Amino acid sequence: MGAAVRLAASAYAVIILGFIFLPVATLVLFSLQATSFPIPPFTGPSLRWYGAVLSDTRLTAALANSLLVASLSSLVAVVLGFLSAWGFARFVLPRAALMRGLITLPLTVSYLMIGMGLLILFNTIGMPKSLLAAGLGHVVINLPLCFAIIYSQLGDHQITLERAARDLGASEARVLALITVPVMAPAIFASFFLSMTFSWDEFVISFLLTRFETTLPVEIWNLLRSGLTPKTNAIGSLVFAVSVVLAFALELLLIRRKPA
Amino acid sequence: MQRRADAALAWGLVAPALVWTLLFFVLPLIAMAALSLTSQQGGVGIGNYLGFAENPVYRQALINSLEVTAIVTLLSVLLAYPFAWILAEMVPARWQRIVLLCAVLPFWTSYVVRSYSWLLVLAKNGVVNEALVAFRLVSAPLQLANTRMATIIGFVHFFVMLLTLTIFANLKQVSPSYRKAAADLGADPVRSFLFITLPLTLPGIMVGAFLTFVLAIGDYITPQILGGNNEILMPQLIMMQIGRRGDFPLASALSLVLMAVVTLAYVACARWLKIERA
Amino acid sequence: MAIQTWWRRPTIAAAAAILGGSLAAAPVAAASLNALIWCDHSDPALLEPFEKANDVKVNVKEFEGTGAGLAIVDQSKPGDWDVMVIDSIDVPRGVQKGLFEALPEDTLPFGDLFPQVTMDGSTKIDGKRYGITEKFGYNTIGFNKTKADPADMQSLQALLDPKYKGRIAVYDYYLPVIGMAALSLGKKTTALTEADLPALREVLLKMKQNAKLVGEVTASQTALATGEVDILVGGGEWVTAGLAKENPALDFSIPKEGAVLWSQSLAMFKDSKNKDLALKFIQYILSPEGQARLATSSCYWGMPSNTKAALTPDQKTILRFDQQPDFLARAQPYPAPNADLDKKMQDLWTEMMQSK
Repeated sequence: MGAAVRLAASAYAVIILGFIFLPVATLVLFSLQATSFPIPPFTGPSLRWYGAVLSDTRLTAALANSLLVASLSSLVAVVLGFLSAWGFARFVLPRAALMRGLITLPLTVSYLMIGMGLLILFNTIGMPKSLLAAGLGHVVINLPLCFAIIYSQLGDHQITLERAARDLGASEARVLALITVPVMAPAIFASFFLSMTFSWDEFVISFLLTRFETTLPVEIWNLLRSGLTPKTNAIGSLVFAVSVVLAFALELLLIRRKPA
Repeated sequence: MQRRADAALAWGLVAPALVWTLLFFVLPLIAMAALSLTSQQGGVGIGNYLGFAENPVYRQALINSLEVTAIVTLLSVLLAYPFAWILAEMVPARWQRIVLLCAVLPFWTSYVVRSYSWLLVLAKNGVVNEALVAFRLVSAPLQLANTRMATIIGFVHFFVMLLTLTIFANLKQVSPSYRKAAADLGADPVRSFLFITLPLTLPGIMVGAFLTFVLAIGDYITPQILGGNNEILMPQLIMMQIGRRGDFPLASALSLVLMAVVTLAYVACARWLKIERA
Repeated sequence: MAIQTWWRRPTIAAAAAILGGSLAAAPVAAASLNALIWCDHSDPALLEPFEKANDVKVNVKEFEGTGAGLAIVDQSKPGDWDVMVIDSIDVPRGVQKGLFEALPEDTLPFGDLFPQVTMDGSTKIDGKRYGITEKFGYNTIGFNKTKADPADMQSLQALLDPKYKGRIAVYDYYLPVIGMAALSLGKKTTALTEADLPALREVLLKMKQNAKLVGEVTASQTALATGEVDILVGGGEWVTAGLAKENPALDFSIPKEGAVLWSQSLAMFKDSKNKDLALKFIQYILSPEGQARLATSSCYWGMPSNTKAALTPDQKTILRFDQQPDFLARAQPYPAPNADLDKKMQDLWTEMMQSK
């Protein structure tokens, strides 16, 4: 590869990475703003907005709510996705392709439609808006994802392992628990992780289906509608910082631990 | 006996996911479709759909959505492919995952906050304009924020990352032996790319492009924050019916129109979107 | 432990920590009041004294525009809400829908209010009082003194002048801005009919051509404060007063054609399960201390309806407390269209937003 091409390629990559980081860099920079507007000139650094965020009970409650909804809905999505993926992979069911298509169909529908549909359904049956309602919606958007990821990883080599276990007298439950789940662990973990990510940051469904107790993205939206402050920058930066820490923890714990 | 037990077990495993999908996905959509055939003032019929077809303002919203989404998809693919290629081919294997992680990390800030950050970056006295003026590239600050261009930039920012991931994953799966074979047969790198690599990575491009299309056309936040209400896109129109008027029948009808458009896109891309087992 | 199961323990531990932590952090429910409000009521400085004095939690849901507020009520069950902040002119709409409870007049300081804003015409129906005005202000022209010529800002016609192209933001609420358009045509805001729509449409489309954005409360404040635009149509002291300290160049004018008066009322829900608490809340907001906090609340400032509000001399100057009688004489209320005209006005607004 010519040196000129390498140089051009590196420059391109740097520009794209710069483009990707630009809003986040500005976000973090102006979260340290000393005055009230997160726009140039930069008058910081000051931690007053981080203090404001941590003492804002609505924000911290929303953060806790987001974690709760994300973890519970992802758990449900992974369990349902795993069980059904295994069912389709191991057994022959009539019209299997159709059913698989149905389960993955929500991937092609915007969150706005899913949220609206649920809102209309819940209004009709008289179910109130709540975190639970939003959680149900989050399972709907994450289930197809979990199913698709796990199903695509259920290969034939596992059949041999499972058959061996069954031949040795293990019940279906033991086969599932001791062979299938551990072998599928990466896929299970990946889908749980991806579901958490989507649920954590999801706005429209939470916006339509919650009332007072709401998730972080909705609370940030409310915050934005009440005034322009670097507080929004601060919470965004905090979320980013936590994600970075989590990402590196994952990198160290999970991926480095694999035998070389 | 074994077969019946097997069948029972199989249905038992698959039923929960199916029931959930039917109850919380299919049923709401049916409810929405039924509602779209009613009117807020009472009465049944396709009035909402006729209203949409006859109202130039509403039709314009759909046209705007299609235009913006098409531009975003095209731009994102064009920008992401070289980046994914550089990542897969020119970055040493040890560093690939780290660089990919770095590229993905900025999207772990809140989506709402990220869009709002773009608004401030593109503002008249924001970072971009200040840089342009400082480097004498323009004489006065440009009108970047609150425009269609801002909406597009906001979208492209996210979807470049998404497409990089799908194209990168595809590129990694392309066996280098294909390229070696082509080289052995006398093809230069450009031809090798155009006729071997590009077609083999088409599934990755199409999956990413389809996802981009679906996610972008149904997105409310980015145009609402960055567009300045200078033009209305479909999701904004739909939310306006819900938020300002409580007109759910009309909102449902508009949503179904949008869904029909996405279904057309799905049909066009269906070949590349099958999920297959390993 | 087998290599492929080493992840189990830390994952289970992490999951337990996340769940446990989030459950523990979830707020404990106390006696609560559910309020449907404009964003100026969510300021902790306003709510906390009431919460502490009565040992309650005030749950708030913000909305903008009566249509949006009533849409939220439509999607709720009876008893979901206790109080609502609603434009005084729209109180009859709530009464017609059977939502509001009559307020006991002798428990509220009606005598102390600015007489021009008690709006008996809309807050009193069949001899019963359903709403009490708590705050008011003007949707008029907000502008940056150093960027827009204050002399121009004395007439609404300046907003249509091409020299201000790209320098205007329009506040995204159709009722007052259509009201301002009506004023610019010399029409009365309360006497608008369908026949006036074409003329209004012309004014609105011309205004949009000059506009850089159409935004709600925060977007418009931001645009004016950051210099993105120089003029805010529909702005007023509610935009400029709160920002006065940081940006003294921001000002507002009441042009010669007049301004549109916005006036917020508090109403109590008939199905509320906490009527006593709701009344206490209304009394608190109307008290001199409550009024002062509401007037200077973080989302947007405004004039307190109670003349005895406990404002400091500085705050009174910023709000132009003493000039209010003159302003009020030149202001007209929001248009109050019937359902059919309201729908047409909203369609007109959507058309304006979509136009270039």
